[in-house]
Amino acid sequence: MAASSDSSESDQLRPSDQSVSCRSGNRSMRVAENERRKKAEEPFVLALKYFSDVQTGTPVTGNDEFEKNLVLVERVAYSNGLSPEAISIMLEFAMSLRMGSSPCVRVLKCLLPSSVVPQEAVVRGVVWLNVGKMPITTQVLFLKWVLTVFDMIDAKDQLRAVYGFIFSFITEENLCPFVCHLLYLLTRKESVRAFRVRKLMDLQSKLGRQPFLLHLLSLYKVFSPELVALSVPSRVKSGFKNHNSPWKVALAAVQRRNGAQIASAISLALPVGDRTSSRKRKHGHLQIPVLTSVTNKQPHTEQNSRKKLIPLVQIQSFDQLLKTMHQIELPAQMGSLLGSGLALQYLDCVQEESALLRLNFWLGCALQEEFLFGSDDDAAHIPEETLQFLDKLLSAQHFLQEGFSSSDAFLYKFLNVWDGSLMRPQILGLLSNIPVIPALHLGKLLFEPLTQLFFTSSLFFKCGLMECLNSMLVKWLTWHSVYALEDDLDISLGSHTSVNMTLSGFKDSVMELVHFVGRLASVGLQLEGCHTLLLSFVLDFYGTVCDTFLKFGLPLVVMPPAGVFYPAFFAADPISLDRLAHIMHRYRVNLTSAKNQEKATEAFHISRQTFQEFNHYLVFMVNCLWNSRMFKPGMDVRLSEELLQKSNVPQYWTRFDLIHHPALMSYAFDFHQKCWPGRKEMDLNSIKHLKPWSWYLQYLFNQGFDGLKDFFQSNINQQLTVDDGQGDSQQR
Amino acid sequence: MALLKPFSKLPGLNTAIILLVENEEKLQLRLGDALLKETSVVVNVRLAKSLPLPVNERRPRIDLVVFIINLTSEPSFQSAEASLKYLDPGYFLGKVCFMVTKARNASVPTRRLDAVRMLAASLHCPLLFAEDQTPEGVFGAADRLLTILKGAAGLVPFTTPLYLSHLTRCTLPPDVDQPSFD
Repeated sequence: MAASSDSSESDQLRPSDQSVSCRSGNRSMRVAENERRKKAEEPFVLALKYFSDVQTGTPVTGNDEFEKNLVLVERVAYSNGLSPEAISIMLEFAMSLRMGSSPCVRVLKCLLPSSVVPQEAVVRGVVWLNVGKMPITTQVLFLKWVLTVFDMIDAKDQLRAVYGFIFSFITEENLCPFVCHLLYLLTRKESVRAFRVRKLMDLQSKLGRQPFLLHLLSLYKVFSPELVALSVPSRVKSGFKNHNSPWKVALAAVQRRNGAQIASAISLALPVGDRTSSRKRKHGHLQIPVLTSVTNKQPHTEQNSRKKLIPLVQIQSFDQLLKTMHQIELPAQMGSLLGSGLALQYLDCVQEESALLRLNFWLGCALQEEFLFGSDDDAAHIPEETLQFLDKLLSAQHFLQEGFSSSDAFLYKFLNVWDGSLMRPQILGLLSNIPVIPALHLGKLLFEPLTQLFFTSSLFFKCGLMECLNSMLVKWLTWHSVYALEDDLDISLGSHTSVNMTLSGFKDSVMELVHFVGRLASVGLQLEGCHTLLLSFVLDFYGTVCDTFLKFGLPLVVMPPAGVFYPAFFAADPISLDRLAHIMHRYRVNLTSAKNQEKATEAFHISRQTFQEFNHYLVFMVNCLWNSRMFKPGMDVRLSEELLQKSNVPQYWTRFDLIHHPALMSYAFDFHQKCWPGRKEMDLNSIKHLKPWSWYLQYLFNQGFDGLKDFFQSNINQQLTVDDGQGDSQQR
Repeated sequence: MALLKPFSKLPGLNTAIILLVENEEKLQLRLGDALLKETSVVVNVRLAKSLPLPVNERRPRIDLVVFIINLTSEPSFQSAEASLKYLDPGYFLGKVCFMVTKARNASVPTRRLDAVRMLAASLHCPLLFAEDQTPEGVFGAADRLLTILKGAAGLVPFTTPLYLSHLTRCTLPPDVDQPSFD
């Protein structure tokens, strides 16, 4: 079969080549080369012919002809891969055990397809499994091979047709994990039957809660929840570890070598011109597969499906997607969804759980096996591929506006072995997409590894983590504001993640997160000498925290710890002070509105302590900035009168008012010069007089200090001389 | 065979001295070079294959001892474990840290990683992971060691080595794979 097809191909080539060579002498070289190649191929064709014709019972030992031919096939396989016909012949030869089982193993090992694997060959292989004289290890090897090349099998309809036949192998204990994996890849709604579920449950009671059984059962449950009465844990230990890595490496090498041919073969196989396959493919372990279809060539052979299915790859536009929404056939390789915008639209619209389950499963395997615990050899060229992969994953997550559970599970593990700099932007990006975790687990899963990383890393890591935690908080709060149900204030988080959380549970998680960041920020600022950059990221975070009630409708207000408030207040740069003032202003607005709503509806309660903390900070700020009374009893900053006298600082109580605050002093100087240009002696205290004071305020607010402006406008009530800050912060 | 003592000598001004202990001597030299690039303090790097160190009266006081463990090799771990007993207990108040390489390798038995974690957690020491394959990884590792070293040498105001180690010490991670986890 192979011989004939090969020769016919070269026959087709020859006339055209000859005609071209007439025109240019250069082309004749190519013809000669073609001839030479053809000669080189001939022994290979003969070798294939040998394997297709060899008689049953031919001895292996001492058979030079056999040895010579097999070596030839192996060489071709490892260099260029085998054509579909060659695969058929060699697989048939191996599985029929015509020459016993020892060459079978050798042949299976070199079955590297150059383009696709014909489905018929695989089906025949499966049938040979049942003949019964094949050693169990060889059977396992065959199944491993099928799993490894699964995505290269040209169609799956006949394989699905023998689903029941494949299922019958499940009772064989050694084959079971591999059969389960194969079934997992083949399962459709029609395949889920009560008797199969019963069989699997029997097996489970016999073998224990094996991950491969659980995975298959969980897929069955997705398709037919009424048949599977089993509680499947949401995070199953990553199940099928059956891919054979030497095979994969050899396959990748073969593909890399003739990458161009494969791409063209695929575009031939798909009459629909799709951009993705003509694009240059990157070959590596962590590539996102090209969206290919498992088009059924004869849809009518499927008795079970009543409607015609359209492969996702054939959908060209969003309109078309909308029209055919219920007839979409998912691709064989779920990972390809990540690279296609339309496929993501589909995932988002349909919310089909089986699609997400399969995608998660693929993603879990890819991340876990290839990235987290990759082999050592290709460490040098991992980063580029991995970066691209993670960027794709991130953009898919941003598109769907939620994370994938498998990438979350991967992150929880990865954080424990992360060095803090490997692919930092991507890892932090993924981290910020993590959905709300119950407060109980937050500490162990996130806080402990992050604390260790935070305090042993550089300033820039600290800033990066702060930003990441801020965006995590924003996402949590956004989920809350989108999914919160009106009536009982309960929320179901994420349409795809089946996490249901009570409002109080959600509040606990948010509170834990905010307190955690508060702790990190306090100590981080202390260790880094209140670095302005870090302070800025911390204030970003509190910019989110202070608005939880009004912006996101979450009845929770958490004040910053003293370790954040005072460094921001005493900062030498005016921006930090202004932002702190803005944050305090927003706290006030939120607390006031929460208080009013609390009185009206009595649906929630903001703790008294929060108001006390707020008032405490507010009084301090107003006393320092406005009233020039820095050291009042009862404040956090306490110094004895005696010590202050000894320090010889003149008018020490005014040192942090609007004029003398280190952040604002340069503005006071500037104002002074502009106000009294003729004066020789600088007397900043003269700004305190009624008229210059209001001018000074106006001057400051015109410099863009909107935070300070809002702060004083809401807290001072236009009384320019206030005796006591308490008068202005009486709300509680 | 004397114990290495943390407080037997006076510290130098604006100086931090780090001792890298690695049985395989694969990473320590590159790491040392990266550490010496620091300019804000004088960093003095000392290398050793294992402890105890030979008696040398002129050796300055060592601020931080780093054990580098290659997770793919059992001898590397055993050597570090055996070296620990030649350190004065005072070192375990924030002046010892473990650095692990090749933790993401497929051939690492998980039990060895767990054992290293147990060791670090029981001694209240930080456990760092390093990507020793790439220059960026080595540089990142050196950066993190410097952060710890400055704290351990008392060069960071308002903090002590003990306080820092309280924040950074290793803890045992949860078993994410457990089916009960939901």
